[in-house]
This record gives sequence, structure tokens and C-alpha cells, in this order.
Amino acid sequence: MGKRSIVLVALVLGALAALTVPGESQAPLKIGVIQPLSGPVAASGNYIRMGAEIARDWINARGGIAGRKVDLLIEDNKSDPKEAASAAEKLIVRDKVPVIMGAWGSSMTLAAMPKLEEYGVPMVVETSSAASITKRGNPWIFRISPPSEMEALGLEQYVDKLGVKRVDFLAVNTDWGRGAISAFGDMLQKKGAAVGAKEFMDQSATDMNAQLTKIKATGGDTLFLTTAVEQITLVMKQAQEQRLGRKIVTTGGSSSPTQLIKQAGAAAEGSYHIVFFMPWFPEAMPDGKLAKAFVDEWAKRGHPFEGLTEGFRGHDGIATIAEAIKVAGKDEAAAIRDALWKVSLMGVNGPIKFEKDGPAGKESGQSKPSIFVVQIRDGKVALPDFLAKK
Amino acid sequence: MDQLLQHLVNGLVLGGTYALLGIGLTLIFGLMNVVNFAHGEFYTLGAYVAFAALTLAGVNFIVGILAAIVAGAALGWLCEVTLLRPLRSESIDTTMLVMIGVWIAMQNGELLVWGGVAKSIPHPFPTAPLVMGPVAIAPLRVIVLILAVGLIASSWLLIHQTKLGRAMRATFQDRDTAALMGVSIGRVHAATFAFGSALASAAGALLGPVFLVYPSMGDLASLKAFSVVILGGLGNLTGATVGGLLLGIAEELGAGYISSGYRDAVGFVIIIMVLLLRPSGLFARQERIG
Amino acid sequence: MTALGRGLLAAAMVTLPFWLADPYYLHVVIMAGIFGVLALSLNLLLGYAGQLSLGHAAFFGIGAYTSALLTLKREWSFWPALAAAIALAAAAGWIIGRLALKLRGAYFVLVTISFAGVISLVSVNWIELTNGPLGLPGVPAPDLGPWSLRTKAAFYYLVLAAVALSYAVCRRLVCSRIGRAFVALRENEPLAESIGVDVTHYLVLAAVVSAAMAGLGGSLYAHYTRFVSPEVFLFTYTVTMVIMVVAGGKGTLAGPLVGAVLFTALPEALRLAASWQWQMLAFGLLLVLLVFFLPRGIVPQIVASFSGHPRSAPTSRTPLQ
Repeated sequence: MGKRSIVLVALVLGALAALTVPGESQAPLKIGVIQPLSGPVAASGNYIRMGAEIARDWINARGGIAGRKVDLLIEDNKSDPKEAASAAEKLIVRDKVPVIMGAWGSSMTLAAMPKLEEYGVPMVVETSSAASITKRGNPWIFRISPPSEMEALGLEQYVDKLGVKRVDFLAVNTDWGRGAISAFGDMLQKKGAAVGAKEFMDQSATDMNAQLTKIKATGGDTLFLTTAVEQITLVMKQAQEQRLGRKIVTTGGSSSPTQLIKQAGAAAEGSYHIVFFMPWFPEAMPDGKLAKAFVDEWAKRGHPFEGLTEGFRGHDGIATIAEAIKVAGKDEAAAIRDALWKVSLMGVNGPIKFEKDGPAGKESGQSKPSIFVVQIRDGKVALPDFLAKK
Repeated sequence: MDQLLQHLVNGLVLGGTYALLGIGLTLIFGLMNVVNFAHGEFYTLGAYVAFAALTLAGVNFIVGILAAIVAGAALGWLCEVTLLRPLRSESIDTTMLVMIGVWIAMQNGELLVWGGVAKSIPHPFPTAPLVMGPVAIAPLRVIVLILAVGLIASSWLLIHQTKLGRAMRATFQDRDTAALMGVSIGRVHAATFAFGSALASAAGALLGPVFLVYPSMGDLASLKAFSVVILGGLGNLTGATVGGLLLGIAEELGAGYISSGYRDAVGFVIIIMVLLLRPSGLFARQERIG
Repeated sequence: MTALGRGLLAAAMVTLPFWLADPYYLHVVIMAGIFGVLALSLNLLLGYAGQLSLGHAAFFGIGAYTSALLTLKREWSFWPALAAAIALAAAAGWIIGRLALKLRGAYFVLVTISFAGVISLVSVNWIELTNGPLGLPGVPAPDLGPWSLRTKAAFYYLVLAAVALSYAVCRRLVCSRIGRAFVALRENEPLAESIGVDVTHYLVLAAVVSAAMAGLGGSLYAHYTRFVSPEVFLFTYTVTMVIMVVAGGKGTLAGPLVGAVLFTALPEALRLAASWQWQMLAFGLLLVLLVFFLPRGIVPQIVASFSGHPRSAPTSRTPLQ
């Protein structure tokens, strides 16, 4: 009995002691990073982290910013909006970071946004796609990833070449999936295509046969798929089993075609993918040298190749923040915010420059990222057939 | 009509694996009275062990599944002996809480070891689907169904025909009498937990190649397993088997004909209705072990 | 606890924002308070009435959504929205209570899980009402007449009041005839019934009060975090509440509060102490150790060690039929 009480007291004391650990020293430049590092999307969050770390190391190797080293304070939002808000609070209040990058999922970003306004700290959004993030009138938000509407616009020029006449949608049942269906549905209808079925799958679902059976019955010619690479793999395999036999286009940039080839094999053949980075031919990116250097460094660190299509976002987010700190001349939150409006830099994806988005007087920043389409042909990633013919 | 048949076939394959999960848990929850939230983690463990065996050690498919079963049994036995046995006199909530801790620890341990990227388990079967009229099914799924049925049958044999099975049934019907008759209660409990966990691991190893392997794959599996157990009646093997199949088919039909967004709701609603109409599960009147 | 001890604790609680001004700590304390209300509510059903409800996140979420929707879309003021949240959650509790008429133990557990599951799916799919997965951002902060309760210190007092109110309600219930009926129901239902305890009535009462309190917690949560999304229905929230109640000590009044404080502080402490790879693994292992060494919960253990002869802690068997 006594022994047990001692253990209890030790546990409580340990927890208390941990809480009173003093903060870090102020000399390095602190940048907060909030990502889902555990939970169902842990892979993506970790890729972003890896990309961010490459950016940090490159900056520090070049002497840092105005002689000061960059320090990334990385927090796990556990794929839970409440944790995203807590992480933001901790980073801002305890660690005194003047700027944050995060938080991957749209609902996590939305949950953290009130904290940004409360304390006056800017955040660079690297992945979230919900339109509302930049339309809510939060002047501390700067997004470098495209909302679904922008993505749909990026595909518009290829719709005729793809030959889309009757389209069906299958998306993950989150803000991202629903946003994609809405944005691409509108765009395709404007181009004269007919929209058939709009099916959903739960984020953790593994069996999509029911939805595929329904889609098979519509007689469409194209299936637009919006979800993470694991589910895309499963959908493709199950579509092959059911002999769906139609064009597949994945959206959102999370399709990781290399991983698809590995895990879905022949089932992925012929599919098209909207991506924001083409690590298979980095020279074709707007800044070919930078892109190639990133791919090489990623490989040098032993990170999986399939993570590149998401990892670059971490790099571009940190590079943007670093540039802003340089322009601002100091690591102070409001100054960084003002500087973000002035930055114009070249990321791995392409040029990054923020334009006003949202209600007047409280605009958020939105950059216009480059959008690419690739295709899986003969078991390899290539430029799509309709482009290569040129 | 074509769609209906395809839905039914899909549901049957899914249901077979639900049944495996349910049988394992009905023994643990129904007989040992442990609310085992870590059941899904044994499922995940089985998948990762199969992955390691097949990709790293390069053994064949069947050996990989056997490795998963052994791993599940061993870890299950360890859990029972170190954690559950000392807590046996405590309330059900306490054992539930300790298994919640095991659940969190196992899942995050797997995340640490394997990373969050989903893994694909290679299998030796052809990928071209078998076509029977309007229905298409992958050979792998047929094999999975056959193996699942085999494991279910083996479980039945174990419970009903072996000495260990008799000892289990005796212990859970009347512990004191069984002890008086010379049954080693401690061994029976450990064996039961190990067996139930091994079945979960087997289900994971079977489904791993069909889907993908990632650390959080067990969460949904746990929940479905509990549904199957209660649908079929606690401690009832027949119930768990049939319940699993029914749940799989109901989910497929619900997703196909009602709404894919509400797919899981179909399962929940069925459960609520069954419990309202027949509170002790579908098979209350049939033979129950415990 | 002695009267002096209680007095000191009360004084510390009332003056907290003055000696713990760091906003991050205040944030942790506020979250601990909100979860304290939730844990107290679950304890009524789980610890006192002896019914394991694993769908408690449903009541929490219903309260959160009701409050958020009414203030956002109908522009209600905070207090009537709070009342509506409590009422709606109570109604849901009534439904569960009625369902429990026929079900006990494991079956009740599953029905509560299923109920929470259905509500969760509705919140994700019924876009017109709940905005689906995108959630409801920008929930307004509460106000008290002309003053906005936006600041952390002000919100802290609101939460403190809620915790005090919940504690008082629980205490009144538990120390009354109703409380004794709960215990009778929990310990030996057939016997209780045979001596005339109206089991149905008390179960429904426990469920309604428990759910109403969880709805209160939900509304507070919505107006503090200012963002509500279907994630509030996640099973992990229910699991968190269960951990707080059982590890803190179910069937005691202080146990859930101790559990709430510990298990709100612990993940945050781990955030400070360990890098992200190890946090959740450490949490799971700590939980296992805690249960292993303190199987009855923290409060019953402390009570037992400090008072020489152990007061009757709740017995270990919850009858499962």
C-alpha cells in the first residue's frame, strides 16, 4: 500500500516538474510547426516535417538569417482540431514563436485560427484546401497551397483533351473531399460535361466496393477521385476487381503516384493525377535546379521517394517564412505578417507571392501555386499522353 | 439484380473477417469479461508481423499467417499473465482501462517502429479477378474467405472437441466447481486470451494483403468486433460467426442502396434495433458457452 | 478533507488568474475545468448508477453543436443557447435512459456506442445543418450583460462556476435518497427492485442529469475553442472521459475532478517533456502503470492510505448480465 502511494506521488511530481521546465533561450530564430504526426494521416504530416527540416538545414548551412540560426519547434496535432489549437497556444505563449506553419488538415487549421488572431501571430498554411480558410477575414493567414477551386481552374485547360463527357465522383468524406467534388463538379459542368454519381467514403474505410458498384452502373467515362494515397490504392484495386474500366483522375496532390505504382500495380495504369510537384522530372518545374536539389537531398536522407509529392510543401512553407523574416529584419510577429505581403520568392512548386483574398480590410494572403498533371503509363510516371503528343 | 449479387459477394468476404474478429472477442469479452479495447491492436499486430515475415524474411504466404498467429498468441498470453491476472479481482472498468492503455501504447509503438506510411503486403495470387456471371471477385479474396472459414472451423473444434476447450467452457460456466475438478484456472484464462488474440492477429494477416497495413487500422476493427459480439450474444461462437457475416452483408447493402456516407450508420442502426427487439442478441436461445 | 483544506483550496481556485497569469497555463486549467464537468457527468452514470456509457461524447457534441449553431446562425445570446444545449443533451439522455430499460451491461454499452456513432455520422453528412466536416468556425465568445467574457480570466471564472455547480448537483444527488437508490441499483439490481426501488425511473434520471451536464460541458467547449467540428464525436473524447473517471476514482465525487486535472495536464506535460515521437507511447505506458498500481483510482487510494482504515471504496464487481 505504501509503495503504491510513493509511485503515485512520484508520478504527480514528475508531471509537475515537467510543466515547470523553463523555456528555451532566445538566440535562434524560432518557427513553430504544427502537423499531424500521429493518427491516421501521420505519414503526410511526417513528410511535411521532413521537407521543413531540409529547408531549415539549407538556410542554416548558408549562415542562417542575418547570422541567426533557424530552429523548428515541431508539435503534433494528433489529427484533432482541439490539439491543433492547444499546440498553437503552447507554441505562441510558452515558446514565444513569432510565426507558425501548419496545420495540414483544414479543420485543424480552422481550429487554430482564433489563436492566431487572439495573440497576433501569422501562420503559413501549406496544405489545407478549404476555401473558407482565406475567406474568413483572418489577416494572419497566408496560404501557399491551392484551394479546390484554384485546382479545378488549373485542370480546366485539359478537360477537352482528356475527353471527359460523363463524370462520377468518389471522395473522402471530409471538407477536402467535399470541397473537391463541389469545385470540380462546377468546373466540369461549365465545360459541358454531365455529372453522374457523387459517392463518399469514410476516411478510415477500406472497402469501397459498394460505392464502386454504384458508380459502375452510371455508365460514365471518367472517375474523379479525391482522397489520400492509401485509399486511392484500395479504390484502384477494387475498381480493377470490379472491372470498372474507365479513366481515373485523382485530385488534391496527395496521390503519390510512385506509391500507387508500387502498391496498386497494374490497377493504376493509365490514371491521371493532379500534382503540385513532379519529382520524376524536376527539371520541368519552374525552378528546375532547386527542385532537383530538393529531390537529391531527400534521397540522401533516405526518405521514401513517394513522400516528395507532399514533402515539398514543408520546404516551401519554411522558405516563405524565412524570406519574410529576412524582409522584416526582425523576428517579431506583426513585422513578419507585414513582410509576408511583400515577399516574392521561388519555391520548389514555383513562384510564391501573396494576393488578397477575403473580406475587405481583413484579407488573408493566398498565393497562386503551379498545378501539373501527370499520368501513370507502362508502370512509370510520365507526362500525360495528351501533352506528350505536342 | 447484378448489383445485388455483387454486393452480396462483397459482403460475404467482408463478413468472414468480421466473424473471425468477433469470435476472438466473444471469448475474451463474453467469457473473461474483459472489455478489450486492444483487440484491434492485435489485428494490426498480425498484419505487421505478416508484412515483416513476407517482405523482410521472405517466407511464403501461409508461413506469414502462421507467424502472425503465433505472435498474437504470445503477446496475448503475456498481457493476460502480467496485466490482467493481477487485476482479476478488480472491477470490469479497471481491466477496461488497462487495455485502453495497452491500446494506446501498442498503436503508438507501431507508429514509432514502422512509421505512418501504409505498407502493402505482397501475395502470390494472380490479380486478375475471377468472373462468374455478373460478379467479379479477386482470387486473393477467395483464398482469404477459405482460410477464414478454416480458422473458424478450427476454433469450433478447439472449443467443442478438445480438453482445453472443455476446460474453458467449464471455467466460464462455474469457476469454483471447475477449480474443484482440477482445472487450472490461471492457465485457462491465459489460454483463452491468447487464443482470442491469435484469431484477431490471423484476421489482420489475412486482410493485410487485401487492404493496406497502417498503425490505426485496428480502431475500426475493434468497434466492428464489439458489434459482432453483442449481435451474436456474449460468448456465443455461432452467434459471432453468423453475426459477422450479417454485419458485412448489411453494410454492403446499406452502402450500396441507401447512402455511402452513412455506411457505418447502417451497422449501428441494425445493432440498436436488434438490441431493442432481442436484447440478449440474435442467438440467445442457442447454446452458449458462458 | 478538512474544513481548513477545503477553505484553502477554494481560496486558491477563486484567486487563480492572479497567481497563474501565464495564458498557456490558464488554457490548460480551463480545458481541465471543462473536462472536469464532463468527467463528473460520466461519473454519475458510470460510477454511481453503474452503467458503462461509452457514447458520452454524443451528449458533449450535441451540447457543443446546439450552442454553436444557435449563436452562429440564429444569433441567440450565449445564455439561452447554453440552456438549449443543456436541454437538448438532456433529451438525448432521456432517449438513452429509456433504451436502457431493456438492456444492461455489455448491451447498454454497445447501444451507447452505436448511438454516438449515428449522431457522429449525421454531423458529418447533414451538411445543411452542421456544415459537415468543415465545421463551424467563429463561434462567438459568451457575454454577461455588457461585458464580453472573451478573456481567459473571465472564461476561467465561467468554467469555475460550471464546475462548482456540477459538483454541487452531483453531491446533492448522491447524498440524497436518489443517490442511495443509484447505489442499490448498481450493487444489486434484482434486490433493489424487490424492495421497491423503481429501477427504470432512477436509470432515466441518472441518464438525463448526466447528459445535461455533458451538454453544459459541450457548450462551454464550443464557446471557448470557438470552433466545432464533427471531431467532437470522436471516440477518443469518450475514452478520455472514461480514463479521467476510472483513473481518478469512479463512484467518488473528487475522483473525476482529480482525473480531469491529471489527464488534461499530462498530455500537455508530455508535450513539454518529450519530443512528439514518444508522447503518445509514453502516455499509454503511464496509463497502464497507473491502473496497475492504483486499480481503484487515485482518490480512493489516497483516502485509503491517509485515513488509516479505508472508507468503503466502491466494490469491484459491477454486475454484468
